[in-house]
Amino acid sequence: MNASTKRLLATLLVFSCLTALPLHRSAAEATPEGDIAVVVHSETPVSELSLADVRKVFLGERQYWNAKLPVTLLIRAPVTRERDVALRVIYQMSEAQFKQYWVAKIFRAEAVFPPKIVYSNDMQNELVTAMPGAIAFVDARNVRPGVRVLRVEGHLPGDREYPLR
Amino acid sequence: MKRPLLVFGTLLFGASTACGQSAPSSDQTEQVRMLLERIEKLERRVTELESKQAATPPPLSAATTAPVQLPSTQESTAPPVQAHQHDVQERQAAVQQMETHFPSLQVRGFGDVDFSATDQKGTTSGFNLGQLDLHLASALSRKVSYFGELTFNAQPTGYTVEVERSIVRYDYNDYFKLSFGRYHTPIGYWNTAFHHGAWLQTTIGRPEMVRIGGTFIPVHFVGFLVEGNIPSGGAGLSYNFGVGNGRGTTISRPGDAGDDNDNRAWVANIYSRPKRLYGLQLGASAYRDKITTAGGDFREWITAAHLVWTRETPEFLAEFANVNHRAVLTGLTTNSQAFYVQAGYRLPWFERTVKPYYRFEYTHTPLSEPVFTNQDLVESIVGLRYDISGYAAFKTEYRNAKRQAADPRVNGLFIQTDFTF
Repeated sequence: MNASTKRLLATLLVFSCLTALPLHRSAAEATPEGDIAVVVHSETPVSELSLADVRKVFLGERQYWNAKLPVTLLIRAPVTRERDVALRVIYQMSEAQFKQYWVAKIFRAEAVFPPKIVYSNDMQNELVTAMPGAIAFVDARNVRPGVRVLRVEGHLPGDREYPLR
Repeated sequence: MKRPLLVFGTLLFGASTACGQSAPSSDQTEQVRMLLERIEKLERRVTELESKQAATPPPLSAATTAPVQLPSTQESTAPPVQAHQHDVQERQAAVQQMETHFPSLQVRGFGDVDFSATDQKGTTSGFNLGQLDLHLASALSRKVSYFGELTFNAQPTGYTVEVERSIVRYDYNDYFKLSFGRYHTPIGYWNTAFHHGAWLQTTIGRPEMVRIGGTFIPVHFVGFLVEGNIPSGGAGLSYNFGVGNGRGTTISRPGDAGDDNDNRAWVANIYSRPKRLYGLQLGASAYRDKITTAGGDFREWITAAHLVWTRETPEFLAEFANVNHRAVLTGLTTNSQAFYVQAGYRLPWFERTVKPYYRFEYTHTPLSEPVFTNQDLVESIVGLRYDISGYAAFKTEYRNAKRQAADPRVNGLFIQTDFTF
C-alpha cells in the first residue's frame, strides 16, 4: 500500500466518521434509557397487574376498578417515549392503528371516551394525583410522590425483568 | 487499489447523501420531541426552584429583628408567593378542565363515495353517494351514557334518514351493563364490529349475510340488552343477552313502532378474547323469535359462530350462521346457511398504508324456504385498501359472483373512498 492510497483511505475513514457521527448522536438522543412506570391514583385498589391486565385496562376492556370507581386512562401526546413504549409493548399498534382502535371502540358503544391526552410529565403527575381511578405511563425517573407505582408481572421499574422499557 | 477505494468512497457518499435526504421527513417529529423534552426540562427546573423556595426560611425573622424594613421585605417576598399560588391555581384549572363534565356530547361522522361497474345485464355503471353516518356518544353521568347513530341514505327521489342505533346504557360495573334501545343485533362478529362505518371495515361492503337491509339475520334489534365481562381468568369471556321485539312484518326491520305479535325475541352471545392471544376473538350466538308474516307464523332459531384475528398482519375474519325456520301450522322445517372467510395483510412498505385482501362468501337457502326469498350466492372478492391519511381510505375491488344455478356469473369493479370526520 503506497502513501497516496493510505492518505485516501485515511480521508475516507475520517469522512465516514464525520457523516456517521451526527446519526449516532441523534439516535442516542431519540432513545433515552429508562423504564416506564405504570402509576395509579394512591387510593386505587390495585398494586400489581400482569402485562395482559395492563393491556386489558388500556384497551378499555376493563373500565372499572370496582363498582364505584371507574378507570380514567391517561396517555402522553405522540412522539413521547412513554407513548412509544405503550404503543409498542401494550397496544402493539402503530399511531394510526391506535387512533382507529379508539374511534371504533367508541363507535361500538364500548366506551364513551378515548384516553385523555397529557402533554407534560408534571401535568400527568398532577392528574394522577387529583383524579381517583386514573392510570398512566410515566418515565420512572419522573415519578413524583403521591402516586402509586404498580408492579407489572411482579416487577417494579428498575428490575431486570421489568417488561415496560 | 485506487479503483475499489473510489467505488467505496462513491458508495459511502451516496449512502450519506441518501441519509441526508431522508432526514427532513422525520424533522417535524424530531422538533416536536425536542420541544417536549424542553418542556420537561423546564418543568424540572420549576420544581427545583419551588423546592428551594420552600426550603428557604421565610424572611419573617428579618421582620422581627428589623421592624422598619418589614413592609419592603414583605413586598419583595410577595411576588414569588403569588407566582406559586398562581401556578397552583393554573394546575387546578387544568385538572378541572381534564375532568369529565356531564353531559359531554361527542359527534363523529362517517361517509363514503362509491363507483361500480358490472357486466350484469340491466345494470348501469356510475357513481353513488354511500351512507352519511353520524354517531353520537354522550356521558350523562359517571355510569350512564347515550349512544346514537343516524344515517342519511341517497334514494332516487331524495334522501331517507334512519335511526340505526339509539341506546341509553347504565354501567353497574364491568360485569353488568344494562341498556335499552335500538341496536345492531349481537349475532356473530361483523354486525356489531363495524356498524355503518365503511372506513372501519377493510372491504367496501359488508358480507351478504349481514347486509344492511338484508334479511338473512335480523340486523337490528329493539329491546334491552345486558352485557359485560365474565370472570374467567385468561379466557377473557364476555357476554350479551337481550330481549326485544324481533323481526317485524317486513322481516328486514325490527319493529321499531311495536312488535307484531306477543312473542318476544331473545339473543345470547358469548365470546372469548384470550389474554395470552392478543387479537384473537372467538364466539357463538343464538337467537330465537316467532315471525308473523302474511304466509303464517314461523319459529326462527339462528345459531352462529365466529373466529377472528384482528391484528392486521394478518387479519382474519370467519363467520358462520344457520337459520332454522319452522312453520307453526304445518311443522315444515328449513335450514339456510351462510358463511364468509376474509383475510387481509397490512404490508410493511409505504408506511403500512396498503392492505390487500380477499373474501369468499357463500349463502344457501333451500327452495322450500318459506320466509326468505332465495338468497343463494357464491362470491369472491379481491381488493386493495390504501389509507390516504389516518382518517380516510381508498379501496378498489374486483368481485366475481354467482347467484342461482341458472344465473350467469357477474364480474364487477368497485371503487370507494371512505372517511371519518
